[in-house]
Amino acid sequence: MTETTSNMVATPLLEVTNLKTWFPSGRGELKAVDGVSFSIAPGEVLGLVGESGSGKSITGFSIIGLIDEPGRIVEGSIRLEGRELVGLPSHGLRAIRGKTISMVFQDPMMTLNPVLSIGTQIKLALEAHENISATDARQRAIKALAQVRISDPETKVDFFPHQFSGGMRQRVAIAIALLHRPKLIICDEPTTALDVSIQAEILAEMKELVSELGTALIWISHDLAIVSSIADRVAVMKSGNIVEIGPALGVLTKPQHDYTKALLDALPSRAKPGELLLRGSGITDAAPPPRKSATANLPPLGGPYLVIDHAVKRFEKPVGLLHGLAIKSGLSQPVTVVQAVDGVSISLKRGEVLGLVGESGSGKSTLGRIAAGITVPTAGTIRLNGQPVMSAGRSPKKITTRIQTIFQDPFASLNGRMRIGDIIAEGPLAHRLVSRAEAPEYVKQWLAAVGLDPTFANRFPHQFSGGQRQRIAIARALAMQPDVIVCDEPVASLDVSIQAQIINLLIRLRAELDLSLIFISHDLSVVRRLCDRVAIMYQGRLVEEGEAGAIYADPQHAYTKRLLAAVPVLPQAAE
Amino acid sequence: MLGFILQRLWQALVVVIAMSALVFCGVYAVGNPIDVLISPDATQDIRAAVIAQYGLDQPLWQQYFTFVGRILHGDFGRSFVYNMPVSELILSRLPATLELTLAAVLFASLVGIPIGMYAGYKPHSPVSRAIMALSILGFSVPTFWFGLMLIMVFAVQCGCMPAGGRGETVSLFGVDFSFLTGDGLSHMILPALNLALFKFSLMIRLARAGTRELMLSDTVKFARAAGLSEFTVLSRHVLRLISIPLVTVFGLELGSTLAFAVVTETIFSWPGLGKLIIDSITSLDRPVMVAYLMFVALLFIVINLVVDLAYALLDPRLRKGRA
Repeated sequence: MTETTSNMVATPLLEVTNLKTWFPSGRGELKAVDGVSFSIAPGEVLGLVGESGSGKSITGFSIIGLIDEPGRIVEGSIRLEGRELVGLPSHGLRAIRGKTISMVFQDPMMTLNPVLSIGTQIKLALEAHENISATDARQRAIKALAQVRISDPETKVDFFPHQFSGGMRQRVAIAIALLHRPKLIICDEPTTALDVSIQAEILAEMKELVSELGTALIWISHDLAIVSSIADRVAVMKSGNIVEIGPALGVLTKPQHDYTKALLDALPSRAKPGELLLRGSGITDAAPPPRKSATANLPPLGGPYLVIDHAVKRFEKPVGLLHGLAIKSGLSQPVTVVQAVDGVSISLKRGEVLGLVGESGSGKSTLGRIAAGITVPTAGTIRLNGQPVMSAGRSPKKITTRIQTIFQDPFASLNGRMRIGDIIAEGPLAHRLVSRAEAPEYVKQWLAAVGLDPTFANRFPHQFSGGQRQRIAIARALAMQPDVIVCDEPVASLDVSIQAQIINLLIRLRAELDLSLIFISHDLSVVRRLCDRVAIMYQGRLVEEGEAGAIYADPQHAYTKRLLAAVPVLPQAAE
Repeated sequence: MLGFILQRLWQALVVVIAMSALVFCGVYAVGNPIDVLISPDATQDIRAAVIAQYGLDQPLWQQYFTFVGRILHGDFGRSFVYNMPVSELILSRLPATLELTLAAVLFASLVGIPIGMYAGYKPHSPVSRAIMALSILGFSVPTFWFGLMLIMVFAVQCGCMPAGGRGETVSLFGVDFSFLTGDGLSHMILPALNLALFKFSLMIRLARAGTRELMLSDTVKFARAAGLSEFTVLSRHVLRLISIPLVTVFGLELGSTLAFAVVTETIFSWPGLGKLIIDSITSLDRPVMVAYLMFVALLFIVINLVVDLAYALLDPRLRKGRA
């Protein structure tokens, strides 16, 4: 343990010594937190960084006394202003929670109760620590909302969570955490689920609030760049231990521990475009099996290949007979129509990687699904090498196997009841790319090609980690022997080092198989690494399109400029 | 909201029309009521006269339209057996079933939900395990056997409870109710308990499953992190969130209990609708059967509509979608 003590103030607000939180699992114990020590001065911001499973969230939950059963603190002490919290009875901890220490969670969609109004939820949190009348509670709620920059708080206090966007909900959660003026707030990845520009806003506001109120902050995150923009000191966690702790600038520019260095090197923003990332070369990948389908008749590399012409997608609910009548007579309000993609024309050249960037709700995923022949466009045509991707008629179907998709969530996109060999072989068998006798060998070749052990073929998806599952999803897409792959945020849910491995895999396979990729992402640094050309989407329209280098160096559209400005950047070492 | 209600009324109408045709044809396909109505030694003339009197000589479709036409005038026909208007007959039996059913369903919910929530809140405690064992018993024990045991123990052995009948009734707004008198209430306890057993177990299991899942959710964690007491978390957050599936089951169970309390009513000789329908089936009393089944269909439609409106009340997300 490398504990830098030079920064510690004489009377720390919180002092954690040798904290061990274990979870019994099977015969042994899962040592989620295994001997963590650190301290925080009043008003200080500590960044706690690590990959999933490093124990950073469990550390936060241990401090606030909310460890899920059957986990428990087996050793160590947590002192808040000199008072020991470990071993405190539950009512003693409850009196501290929300009052002296409060917490903000990762996913604002899940934390607020969907069936209670914002005002009621704030009132409940107020009543937890003081006797307060209904009218006073309402006034306090309005003030609390105003404090976190929610406009028109008098009206918003009666809103329900679903009437707010993700960023607004996280503001409400922060308002609740601030209600009793706590001395310490633990923020567990509070901006991970949000768009870049919202993230930048929340970060700025949080910084301001913390310095205004003198609150200390533990900011838990997997993203080094975000932490560097808010924290005074940074602690890096790995397998339940803090491997490095020190002033933010020092840790991020002159890392001492190998793990910190490796984490920094895996960041896409650190590498040059097109180059393999430093980590992720650990697994040797076999060459992909030979392609069977005829590859003649293809345009040369660099020629226009997949052409999307004026694609439009409107989402509207079907209206029943009487409901329709009620709308016409003005008794009922008309159904809202969402114009997800609003007349987009773009072409993908053969062999290139096109980045499709935008915030949530910009229509990028819908456009990707239209391109892949999954969603039927309301209007417009999609042609691959001059041939339509979908059949004509009332209920069009995808009629080509040359476009495949890799989805964002590798946990949801693989059928948990099928063996992965069957998952990969299903498509090729259905389209007679391989015979039933050839299938096992074919699957093995693809598993080897994406860097997985070929003997895994008869395992089930739940036996794999997120990164491995995404490799399986890639093998499934490639086994169909496509020319174009639509990747819908394929690395968004993965840790940095795993993310680097998957990006390396995509770069390699693209070169070996002459693939053309549409790479959908909200992460501008990943796109910069991988893509030749970038298209920026905003509210269903294409606002800017061009060579990746040009767009990053000299963005033309105001929205692109805003997006680029919002990306958190690591401090550069003054070497 | 108005559009939604219109839509539901339209659906209800379609269901009622389909139901009437289905029930009418189904019931008319089985048995011949004439054999039950007149003595076997009646002359052919009398037989023909009775058949003509009830319109049974006409083709099925004609009988159906006569039947629908009469319904539109509010006339459901006369019972062959009781020789009184069917609507009157059903209405006279409804209060008995209604009070019994409501007592059973309310008991099952008001006791079952808190117990189930406790079992979900502390899933590993011995008390929770006992509750769950009890609920499995409640699922598996046949109603008739449990009813007979109740009578054996409380009516025969102890003699502290009456074995059957409605007991003393009090007339309120021209309708007889048992629950307002001590004697009536004591007559009601055993059948209500018997009727509640299954629903009670169902409510326990549903409340437990919902609570158990929610206790691990971020919503509950966040509420706890804000310092809310466990009681507030359970009563204000968890109860509201599990209420939607509970209301669904409550509605369905209320409907099916009202319609099919047959076994319990027979065992405890409770003069409700269940007994009426069993009696009319054995005596092939067609008008009562048809009217009763129509009534049941209508009942389910109304209950489902109320349940849907309750959803909107409980879940603001639905309110907005249909506003």
